[in-house]
Amino acid sequence: MRRILKKALATAALIAFAAGAQAKETVVWWDFLSGGDGVRMKSLIDQFNKEHADSIEIQATTLEWGVPFYTKVQTSAAVGEGPDVMTYHLSRLPLGVATGTLREITPEELKAAGFSADNYAPANWKAAQVDGKQYAVPFDIHSVVLYYNKDKLAAAGLLGQDGLPKGLDGVDNFHAALEKLKAGGSEYGVSIHSAAGDSQWRIFYSLFSQQGGKFLSDNGKFLEGDNLDKAVKATSVVAKWVADGLAPKSTDYPASIALFTSGKAAMHINGVWEVPTFTDLGKQNKLGFEWGAIQLPTFFDQPATWADSHSFAIPNRKGKEISPEKLKAVLEVVKWMNEHSLFWATAGHIPAFSPVTSSDDFKKMQPNATYSTLAKTAVFDPSSKLAGVASPVYDAAGNFLMPAINGELDPQGAMEQMRDDLDGQTE
Amino acid sequence: MLASTRRAERRSAFILIAPFLLIYLVLFIYPTLKMLELSFTNAPLIGEGDWIYFKNYVRLFGDRLFKTAVWNTGYFVVLTVVPNVATGLLIALMVDRLKGWTQSVVLAAFFLPYILPVSVVFLMWRWILDLQFGIAQYPIEFFYGERVPVFRTIPWFLPMVGLITIWWTNGFNVLLFIAGLRNISPEIYDAAALDGASRWQLFWKITWPLIWPVTALVATIQLILQLKIFDQVYLFSVGGRSEPTMVLVQYIYQEAFQRNRGGYAATVATALFVLIAALSVLQYQVLRARSAE
Repeated sequence: MRRILKKALATAALIAFAAGAQAKETVVWWDFLSGGDGVRMKSLIDQFNKEHADSIEIQATTLEWGVPFYTKVQTSAAVGEGPDVMTYHLSRLPLGVATGTLREITPEELKAAGFSADNYAPANWKAAQVDGKQYAVPFDIHSVVLYYNKDKLAAAGLLGQDGLPKGLDGVDNFHAALEKLKAGGSEYGVSIHSAAGDSQWRIFYSLFSQQGGKFLSDNGKFLEGDNLDKAVKATSVVAKWVADGLAPKSTDYPASIALFTSGKAAMHINGVWEVPTFTDLGKQNKLGFEWGAIQLPTFFDQPATWADSHSFAIPNRKGKEISPEKLKAVLEVVKWMNEHSLFWATAGHIPAFSPVTSSDDFKKMQPNATYSTLAKTAVFDPSSKLAGVASPVYDAAGNFLMPAINGELDPQGAMEQMRDDLDGQTE
Repeated sequence: MLASTRRAERRSAFILIAPFLLIYLVLFIYPTLKMLELSFTNAPLIGEGDWIYFKNYVRLFGDRLFKTAVWNTGYFVVLTVVPNVATGLLIALMVDRLKGWTQSVVLAAFFLPYILPVSVVFLMWRWILDLQFGIAQYPIEFFYGERVPVFRTIPWFLPMVGLITIWWTNGFNVLLFIAGLRNISPEIYDAAALDGASRWQLFWKITWPLIWPVTALVATIQLILQLKIFDQVYLFSVGGRSEPTMVLVQYIYQEAFQRNRGGYAATVATALFVLIAALSVLQYQVLRARSAE
């Protein structure tokens, strides 16, 4: 009799437990954040799960950045699999919509969840739309910056009274500064990730836009007219650093960072997402020098920096569409993340949610506050199915731009090939 | 009476092979036919497309990148198949001479790389050959005069990936060869030794002909495997200059998954299918002719 009673009690407990679990909504989450920013995202997710212990649980998976992530997202959505919410680059949004990977978020749904366009920079909010329909909610703006070794720049007389680098604007000035740094005992003036097209694209697109270049004309032609010359000029600047031994040739991503952290290179051009790497190393006293980060110098006529934006999007799972309850939970997650994006800024990114960027806490954050000026003159990848992360433009950057930087192709020929390759894909 | 037994036999035979036949039809024949059908359409990666007859095939013959991919795949086969078989046999012959636990340890050492996933192989070798910090750059600098960004230098790319592939997959070939060598009766060697045969003669007159079936098997497996090369070439070239070192499966992947052209990717896949079928038959015939000599 006692045994039966025990069993009955256990069953009742189990049912109660299962019922409790049912009321809790799980949100399956995919991201591609595996660097210093990935660590921060994980603690944001942990905090969210703790605060929503009895309502929503995020089950997060981190996948490989770039082509692997986006091909997996596209194929799984097409067969009704995949996450409830995922991180997505706004630069890739047109391609994602064209392949039917993304689900529209209607104005009613956004309004019901409490989103307002007023809380985002207009260009940023608009970049999350295709043909007037909203497909994503922006989360941050990220870009490339110039990291510098304060000790080395001071020794070369390149540091101003305010502790910020001086005399770096203009192609010739920058080149002279690199030579000075090299003469001062640095192996390289500036370390760049020269073995891949994606990193080179970011520098190239900044220099190209500083000349007012238009990569994709409104008629759908790439590098039309004198834009080709501007592209050649932009490529030649970086190619000359490499040819003169001022920047490392064909160097991989981790090695390009190690050159800077080990003090072999005086400066480093890379994404803001490496800010946590240097912050953490500095805190552990493993760096051995003071560092800072500023907006890329103005090499040509006007300031401009390549930028992209991480956003949250919902995959268009064919035959297994997201339920209204799940959608509500997903939008709740997205909203919470935006409201807590001050912590995301410690990952180097500039939050998209303007109440955060206008807060005093953000304005005190260094070096973020110094380089966040770049947002004003940021240029986004051309809005096209052929552009964006892991797109044909990125492929072409690997095949033509990268070899030109490393002296294997001449800049003129490389840019002509790049133009022809991309024009050949517009049909 | 006789007819009915035969019918019963046929029926049970059919029942016995039915599960295999069903799986074979559903998982192999049907997708293959579907691929063939797809190659005549302009379908995207997912979903239906319009029937465009032979347009994809016409395009295939004028496609510069397809020619590069065919050439590179052939080059990679030349770089890996025979060397992989030869080193496998050589190592097996050496390991076979060892006795007891030393043999096990040495065999395990050669087999170990084979169990590594390709991503680990990629990460290891990327660091070994890293331009700035890689340990292999010291010997390269010593012999060649300067450091070489191996995976960003076109003439070095495929030979180095070939070398890494041999290092990675050789253990399995060694295992097959050792099994083959143990099958050769020691009495034959004893008899030959009594007749005063030299080491050299022992190998060419006894080991080589008797191990030939295994050699033929390993060579065929290798040929098919290397024609389908993808992982290593893709991983080492990603982000860089992928076009000059493009191989066929990589091209299929790029067309289908990155450029969303399922129809054309199916056309390239059909071409690869024909190529592998033709080469396998050819190789089988050549190897059979050799063993019949």
